[in-house]
Amino acid sequence: MSAIKTIIHLETDLHPIPVTTTEPEKRVERTKQLFERMKNQCRAVVMAMENCTKCGRCAKECHVYLGTGDPDNIPAARADLMRAVYKKYFTAGGKLLGSFVGARELDDELLEKWVNYFYQCNECRRCAVFCPLGIDTAEVTIMARQILVYLGLVPKFHMSIAKQVDKTGNNMGIPKGACIDSCEFIEDEIREETGVDVKIPVDQKAEILYVPSSADFFTNFDTMVGAAKFFHAIGANWTISSEILEAGNFGLFFDHDFTMKSHNNRLVRIAKKLGVKKVVQGECGHGWRAARMYTPSLSGPVPFEITHIIEEAAAAIQRGQLKLDPSKNDDKIVTLHDPCNAVRSSNLMEEPRIVLRACVNNFVEMYPNREKNFCCGSGGGILMEEMIEWRKKVTQVKRDQVRATGANYLCAPCSICKAQFPVAFEGYEKEVPGFKIGGLMDLVGYALVLE
Amino acid sequence: MASIEVNGVVIELDEDGFMVNPDLWNEAVAKALAPTEEVTGELTEDHWKVINYLRNYYLQFGIAPMIRKLTKETGFSLKEIYDLFPTGPAKGACKLAGLPKPTGCV
Ligand code: SF4
Ligand code: SF4
Ligand code: SF4
Repeated sequence: MSAIKTIIHLETDLHPIPVTTTEPEKRVERTKQLFERMKNQCRAVVMAMENCTKCGRCAKECHVYLGTGDPDNIPAARADLMRAVYKKYFTAGGKLLGSFVGARELDDELLEKWVNYFYQCNECRRCAVFCPLGIDTAEVTIMARQILVYLGLVPKFHMSIAKQVDKTGNNMGIPKGACIDSCEFIEDEIREETGVDVKIPVDQKAEILYVPSSADFFTNFDTMVGAAKFFHAIGANWTISSEILEAGNFGLFFDHDFTMKSHNNRLVRIAKKLGVKKVVQGECGHGWRAARMYTPSLSGPVPFEITHIIEEAAAAIQRGQLKLDPSKNDDKIVTLHDPCNAVRSSNLMEEPRIVLRACVNNFVEMYPNREKNFCCGSGGGILMEEMIEWRKKVTQVKRDQVRATGANYLCAPCSICKAQFPVAFEGYEKEVPGFKIGGLMDLVGYALVLE
Repeated sequence: MASIEVNGVVIELDEDGFMVNPDLWNEAVAKALAPTEEVTGELTEDHWKVINYLRNYYLQFGIAPMIRKLTKETGFSLKEIYDLFPTGPAKGACKLAGLPKPTGCV
């Protein structure tokens, strides 16, 4: 494997993913089998392989190309890395004329490019919104990364998360004791602030299972506070589970077959054990997609509803169930970053706006927004330390979007976005004093009047 | 894999420079790691207050505490923690305290 030179650290031990690593000399043969399987099963990818007209429309819509200026980061060029192999196996021209028509085997040189460029895609699907043929390069990237898993090439960062989830049920590796200690601390803090006893039940039988992001138990404290206050305010019979303290599901990014599926299975198993009627997902863009779009389809029918806390909050606001004082947020000019996976893949578009308008007086849209919003620059799980300089580059367009709003609170209801933006906006407080990055439930929590 | 030698003991580090085996931590290791996280000069009493809090929490619970809990219990604001550890609580402070690198969406 050392023959492969990549920009990111790779892991050699893929446990718990049950694949036997492919010997370097068997890779080409294995690739062929994997492509056969893809051709039979993955319509969206086959459509992308067959159809690109090289019109170039997608180039200026990809923030990664805009930020790096590297032509290999044009969405169509990224997909071409897979198309070359597809042509070799499945088109008459490719079989006959080979490299003359750009067809080739997945040799070491191309494999290196695969790792480097499929791990420079944020899987944000923005290119798909603008492609006249509806080609979704994020789907191509996901498939390419899945093939890389079978060939034994996985970033260390992604593997470390898959291992943590397998062991503890969350990305950070928070054990039950720390989860309980943190909940007690949050309860104390809310009591100190409001004088109200808000409980965060852990591992209880309940009607609602709330699945936060484990980062809410480390950096995004106010998001968890907001969620706890919200459930208290609507009088919910709810619980969190120390066995699945994670809305995020990194398997969506690189390994649907095992990592994503086993996370979804865990969710189903625990929700059944706790006897809940509803699973409410916390602030995590891609986790929402994985839970909503892939849980019943991969794990079979489930005896509970799957919703998002922002949908729940919007519904409660529309029912008039929440007492909110938006003036509590008057120190803020808020703009909303639509997380790609929430807005382009699982339809969380108007709900955040309903919630924002009820909680803050100064809300300014950034442009473009909704399904045309630009990604934070860390989607697809590109949060590794070694990608920091790259993460700053690809996010220039985002800085311009936010700068134009004059906002001092960047609301990003997604844990990856929340982790990326301090990197992207390093030094921005000098331009905008008091600039803050936070979630949406944070703002709900500040505005909620509890009794 | 990188490593440093502290008082004759080889300390293995991961690709981000965090200790692979947190059990080998001692104060001399913290001092040796300080320059890698932009902590210059001697470690002060304030540094040790943060390091020891993190260390003890980790030994008791097996993970870093919530950042808000760290600031509350040490009495330092987040800004003060950044003044002590320029690369932040999750990176500089955790590394010097010998914790594994916090992973996930951080
Ligand atoms: S917009 Fe679509 S068809 Fe045009 S180059 Fe890009 S992927 Fe190909
Ligand atoms: S999915 Fe996003 S990052 Fe990937 S090629 Fe398309 S626009 Fe670029
Ligand atoms: S991290 Fe946030 S903005 Fe970036 S791809 Fe995911 S959902 Fe989109």
